Amino acid sequence: MQLRSFAEGIKLLKDHSHCFLSSHTLIFAVMAPKKPEPKKEAAKPAPPPEPEKPKEPEFDPKSITIEFTAEQIEEFKEAFLLFDRTPTGEMKITYAQCGEVMRALGQNPTNAEVLKVLGKPKPEEMTSKLIDFETFLPMFQHVSKSKDQGTFEDFVEGLRVFDKEGNGTVMGAELRHVLATLGEKMTESEVEQLMTGLEDGNGCVNYEAFVKHVMTV
Amino acid sequence: MGCGVTKTSEFNKRCDRAMKAAVLIQRWYRQYVARMEMRRRYTWNIFQSMEYSDLQDQIKLYNFLGYLVDNFTPSSSERNLISHIFRENEVCRDAEWERYFSYTNIDVPDIYSGPRLTFPLDMDQAADLVEAFKNKQQLHSRYVLQLLLETWKLLRVLPNINRVSTCHSKEITICGDLHGQLEDLLLIFYKNGMPSLEKPYVFNGDYVDRGKDSIEILLILFAFLLVHPGDVYLNRGNHEDHIINLRYGFTKEVLGKYKMHGKRILKLLQKIFSWLPLVTVIDHRVLVVHGGISDTTDLGLIARVDRHRYVSALRPPKKKNASRSNLYTDTAINEMIFCKNRRGSLTFPKQFGSRDSFQRRSLQDFSSTVARTVEEELEVRRRQAEFSLSSFSMSHRNLNSLSSESDPDSSENTETSNEEWKQILDLLWSDPMSQDGCIPNEIRGGGCYWGPDVTEDFLNRHNLQLIIRSHECKQDGYEFCHNRKVLTLFSASNYYDVGSNRGAFVRLGPDLVPYFVQYQATSMTRGLSFPQSVKRTEHTALKVLREQLFAHKSQLISAFQEFDKEKTGLISLNNWASAVEQVLHLDLPWRVLRPQLVSDTTDSMLNYYCWFRDLALKKPSSENVEQTLLETLYRHRSTLETIFRIVDTDNSGLISFEDFRQTLKLLSAYLKMEISDEAINDLVISTDTNNDGSIDIDEFMEAFRLVDRTRLESSRSLQMFKQENQDQPQEEETQQTADYASPQTAVSQNADSAGQQTADSPDSQAADSAGSQTEDTCHNSLVPPQ
Repeated sequence: MQLRSFAEGIKLLKDHSHCFLSSHTLIFAVMAPKKPEPKKEAAKPAPPPEPEKPKEPEFDPKSITIEFTAEQIEEFKEAFLLFDRTPTGEMKITYAQCGEVMRALGQNPTNAEVLKVLGKPKPEEMTSKLIDFETFLPMFQHVSKSKDQGTFEDFVEGLRVFDKEGNGTVMGAELRHVLATLGEKMTESEVEQLMTGLEDGNGCVNYEAFVKHVMTV
Repeated sequence: MGCGVTKTSEFNKRCDRAMKAAVLIQRWYRQYVARMEMRRRYTWNIFQSMEYSDLQDQIKLYNFLGYLVDNFTPSSSERNLISHIFRENEVCRDAEWERYFSYTNIDVPDIYSGPRLTFPLDMDQAADLVEAFKNKQQLHSRYVLQLLLETWKLLRVLPNINRVSTCHSKEITICGDLHGQLEDLLLIFYKNGMPSLEKPYVFNGDYVDRGKDSIEILLILFAFLLVHPGDVYLNRGNHEDHIINLRYGFTKEVLGKYKMHGKRILKLLQKIFSWLPLVTVIDHRVLVVHGGISDTTDLGLIARVDRHRYVSALRPPKKKNASRSNLYTDTAINEMIFCKNRRGSLTFPKQFGSRDSFQRRSLQDFSSTVARTVEEELEVRRRQAEFSLSSFSMSHRNLNSLSSESDPDSSENTETSNEEWKQILDLLWSDPMSQDGCIPNEIRGGGCYWGPDVTEDFLNRHNLQLIIRSHECKQDGYEFCHNRKVLTLFSASNYYDVGSNRGAFVRLGPDLVPYFVQYQATSMTRGLSFPQSVKRTEHTALKVLREQLFAHKSQLISAFQEFDKEKTGLISLNNWASAVEQVLHLDLPWRVLRPQLVSDTTDSMLNYYCWFRDLALKKPSSENVEQTLLETLYRHRSTLETIFRIVDTDNSGLISFEDFRQTLKLLSAYLKMEISDEAINDLVISTDTNNDGSIDIDEFMEAFRLVDRTRLESSRSLQMFKQENQDQPQEEETQQTADYASPQTAVSQNADSAGQQTADSPDSQAADSAGSQTEDTCHNSLVPPQ
C-alpha cells in the first residue's frame, strides 16, 4: 500500500485507529550522523541519492515545478502552520522540523533526503534556521516525487529479513539492535517508544500487525 | 544481527538487505510519529478554541445580565425574575455569620465512617483526610463547616501578600491550577510528599470548578493550612468566586454532595474565597500570582487593599451614591478598545475576526452596573420593609462602611475602589502576550494582556526576577515566556480530556532555580487500551467542533450559498473550508480536519445539505421547533443554563414554567429575536416536562446534545477503505495486538515503577480509581534563573 497523495493519507488517517501521543517529548528531531561535505556539483535536480553513488548532485529549488493543485497546496499550508512554533507566529518552521512536516503530510523521506533538499545544513543550523512555506514547497514537491517510497510489502519484506524462523515474528531484541545500529540510527528512546507494547511474553514481535499499525496512522 | 558468516558475498547481501530493511522501518516509523504529532497538534488547537468559545460563553452571560440590568426596571413585568437573578445575599455582621454557620447542632450519625475531625487539627488527621478522600469517602457536613470556620478565622489574619523564604535549604513546591481534579493533587503528594515543615507548598489558585472533586481539594488544602500555617500558602484564583462557580460546576457539586447544608457551605466559602491572599512572594525575588500583572500593577497598593471586599469579579465593593456618570465612563472606554488586529496572545496567537455582535463589556464595567442595581434593590426592599429594622440597619451600615459616611469626596472613594478593583482583577485574570504593551483582555472580560516590556518594567520596579503564574493550560504542564521571566504552571493534567496535556509542579530551592516535575494522571484510562483512550480525546474535540458548526448552521448555509449561487447544494472542499473559517473564526486547519467532520464527498465536492442532516440534534421531536430559534438557543445554552440555576434558588433542579418563559423572552429581546408564546410552548412540550408547571433543567439541557455520528461515520468510511484495498486484512477498531502502551511509560527517564498501583486498591473500577495509579514521567530540567 503506497500513500501516493496527501488526501489518501488523510483518508487512511481517518479510517483507522487513532493513536495519540500525548507526550511532547516523544518527538525527537532526529538527525542523521554528520555526513562528509559533498563535492561541488552543477546545480541540477537529481533522483534521490542511493547509498552506492559517491557523488550527490545538490538540490536546486528553482528547478522544481510545483505540480500540486491549489487545493492540495492549501492543505499542505494548514499542516505546515500547525508546526509553527515561533513565539510570534511567523509561519515558519525550523530546519529540524522539515522532515517531520514532510512526513506528517504523508511522505517518508530518509533523513538523508531531507538534509539534501535542505541544502546540507550544518547541525547547529538545524534548530536555528527557519524556513517559510514558499521555501518548503519545492522541497516537498521533490520529495513527493521520489520513487523510492516503499510499499507495504517492502516494509513487511524488510522486517521479514529478521524473521529467522519464518513464522511472522521477529525477536524484539534483535529489532531494537538493528534499528539503533543500522541505517539511519534511531535513538534509544525512539526505539523504546516504538517497541513498547509490541513484544509478547517471549520477546517476539508479530510484525505484520505492527506494520499495519504504523502504516495506517 | 541477522548476518550470516559463512560466505562473504552471502554476508554482504544479507547485510545489505538488513541495512535497507532498517532504513525502511526507520522511515516508516518516523512518518508515523510525525503524523501523530500533527494530529496531536490540531487536537490541541481544537481544545484551545473550545476554551476560547467557552470563555465567550462567559462574556455572553455577562452581557446578557448587563442587558437585563440596563433595560428592566423593578416595575417591569419581569421584575420578579430579575430580582430573583440579582438577589443579593443578606449581609450580616460577623457575629451573625458565626451563628449562621454554626455546626454544633449538626449530629453525626454512628454509621458515618468517614473522618471525625477534632480541632486543632494535627498532621495525622490531615493525612487521614487525604486517605479518606482517596477512598472516595465524603467528609460530613458538620466537620466541613467546622473546618471552614477555622480556615476563615485563620485567613482573616493573613496579609494580602504571602511572604515566603527558602531559608534552611528548604525547597518550596509550587502548584498551579487544580480545578477539582483530586487525582492530580494526590499524584503531586505521592511524588513530592505532603505539606510539612520540611516541605512548604504554594498553591496558585483555581482549586475548584470543572473537575468533580473541588470540595475535597479545598478541604485538603485548608486542612494542611491549619496544621502548617507557616508552610502552606494559598493564592486566590479567578475561580475562587461564587458567581464563576455557578457557571463552572462547583456550586452544583457542593449542592449535590451536601444536600442539607450545601447552601451554608457555599456561603461560607464565598467569604473564605474573598479572604484568600492575593499573591505570594518568595525570597523577595519571585512573584507567584494566579493570573498575572498589568502595566499598573503595584505591589505596594496590593498590600494595602481590603481584599475581602472583592467578593466576586461581578460584584465590586458597594458604593454609596455612585452616580451614573462615574459608572459609565468605564463602559465608554472599554467599548472603544476593540483590538481587531490583536495578535500575539500566547494562547491564541492568530488573528481574530469579529465575533458575534455582543457588546464587549469588561467585568469591571459590568460589575459597576450590577452594584447600582443592588443599590436600587435595597431601596425597594427598604420601602417594602421586608427586612426587620435592626437587620436592615446593620446591613445598610455594612454597606456604607466601605465608603465613608461623611462623604464629601465619595467620588474619590469610588476612584480608589475602582483602582483597587482593577488591580485585583489584573492579578487574577491577566494573560501574557508576546508583543509589547498592555491591552484589556477582552476574551476573558477582565484583566489584561501584558507584554515582555511590562514584565521587564515590573520586575525592575519591584526588584524581582521571575513571575510564576497559572491560569492557562499548557500542554506540557508548564511553559516559559517573556525571555524566561514569566513561567506558566498548570497542574491539572488531562484538563480538556484524557491525554490532552500533562500537569506539572515546580520546586525552588535557595538558588531559585526551577526544578520541574511533570505527570499525567491516568485512572481514566484504566481499562482502556492506549489507542482507545487516545480516540476518546480526539472524539471529544471533534464533538465540540461539531457543536460549534451546528450552532452556526444558518450562517454557514448562507456562506455556502455565496459560493454556490446556482444552489446545487454542492460546494468544493476549498470553498467549504473558507466558508467555515469565515463564519466560525476558530483559525483551525479545516482542510486537515475535513475528513473527520465530513464524510460525504464525491469528486471532491461536498453536499452541504446532507452534511447538515448528519449534524442534527438528538431529540427528533425538536424538529417541531423552529430552526432558527433552536439554533439560537443552542448557541446560548450555557447562558440559559446558568440563569436557570441562579433562578432555581432552592436547588431543586426545577424551575417554574413562568420563570422559564420569562427567561426566554428576555433572552430573545436581548438578541432582538422574535419569540412567540407558541414557540415557547412548543419548546416546553418537546422537552417533556412533568406537567406540574415546572421544568427539569437537566432534561431541558439534555435536549441540546447533538447526535453522535462518529460511530456511523467510521463504519461507513471503513467500508470505503475496504473497497479500495481489498487485499488488505481488516482493521478492527478494538485491535489489541499492535497497540502501543501508553507512551508516558516509555519516555520516562526516571520512571518510578512504584508508581504503578496494583489491583489491591479497594476501588479498582474502571473510571473511578483514584490516587496512586499513576504514570510518572520525570522530566528534570535545570533552568538557569532569569
